[in-house]
Amino acid sequence: MNDSVPPADARDVEFARDALPYMDDVYRFAYSLTRNAADADDLVQETYLRAFRSWHTFQPGSDARRWLFTICRNAFLRSREKLRHEVDVEDSDMETLVAVMNQGEMRKDGSDQLLSRVDLAPALTKALDELAEPFRSTVILVDVEDQSYDAASEVLGVPVGTVRSRLFRGRRQLQEKLRAYARDAGFASAGNPAQEPNDV
Amino acid sequence: MSDDMPMLDCRSAMQQLWDYVDGELTAERMQAVERHLDACANCHPHAEFAERFLAALHQTREDRSCPQDVRAKVMASLRDAGMKVT
Repeated sequence: MNDSVPPADARDVEFARDALPYMDDVYRFAYSLTRNAADADDLVQETYLRAFRSWHTFQPGSDARRWLFTICRNAFLRSREKLRHEVDVEDSDMETLVAVMNQGEMRKDGSDQLLSRVDLAPALTKALDELAEPFRSTVILVDVEDQSYDAASEVLGVPVGTVRSRLFRGRRQLQEKLRAYARDAGFASAGNPAQEPNDV
Repeated sequence: MSDDMPMLDCRSAMQQLWDYVDGELTAERMQAVERHLDACANCHPHAEFAERFLAALHQTREDRSCPQDVRAKVMASLRDAGMKVT
């Protein structure tokens, strides 16, 4: 037995069990915030260091992934000395309708066929990378990381209505990028006039 | 929701579509939207499209995972911070 290696205490074991498995998720979220690999690397390290040092504040049984996302975002904001001054449109009903109209356009011009393509993920990943903040981090949290609106609201420090608004606008922008991609790939008929769903 | 409740109109159903596919509505509203989508040939494709779009978006998870060298750096910094389990 090697006496130079002290036995792990319970905190370390719990941290390894409950926090470390989410490194891929934290990395994706960090990348969504920083938009470049070098800064994402630093942010993931900073997130896990902060999480380890404050593990005593984690409530056992609560959502460790959500807790890590919150630490990650706060670390990002501190690193950029960024203030939460984003202005959001709160008319989520209108956002939904506009998004649905965009869906209708994709179906009508044939670009929705793109969704059944197996090689769509790279195009969507690129579109996600190009998405502006604060929409990108919201879409990543809800649509990629499966966080509820409530959880995303907690992580981002904004009301649920703001999460919805950002999410719907982000999705709409992604769909617009996909339409352009579909046209370039020959999936869609560029000449088709945009039409709205008949009764929406 | 009982069967004699009035059917949602298309506008109401579409206003709640994203919340519906995200599972963020109350059980009663989920049922109401589902009932409309089942019966409405115009709105049903929108829901199908939304679900396919979100499924494709979710698949991007596979496209980006934490690189091994970053994992190693994280573990090294945790060891430096006193973590004994690596």
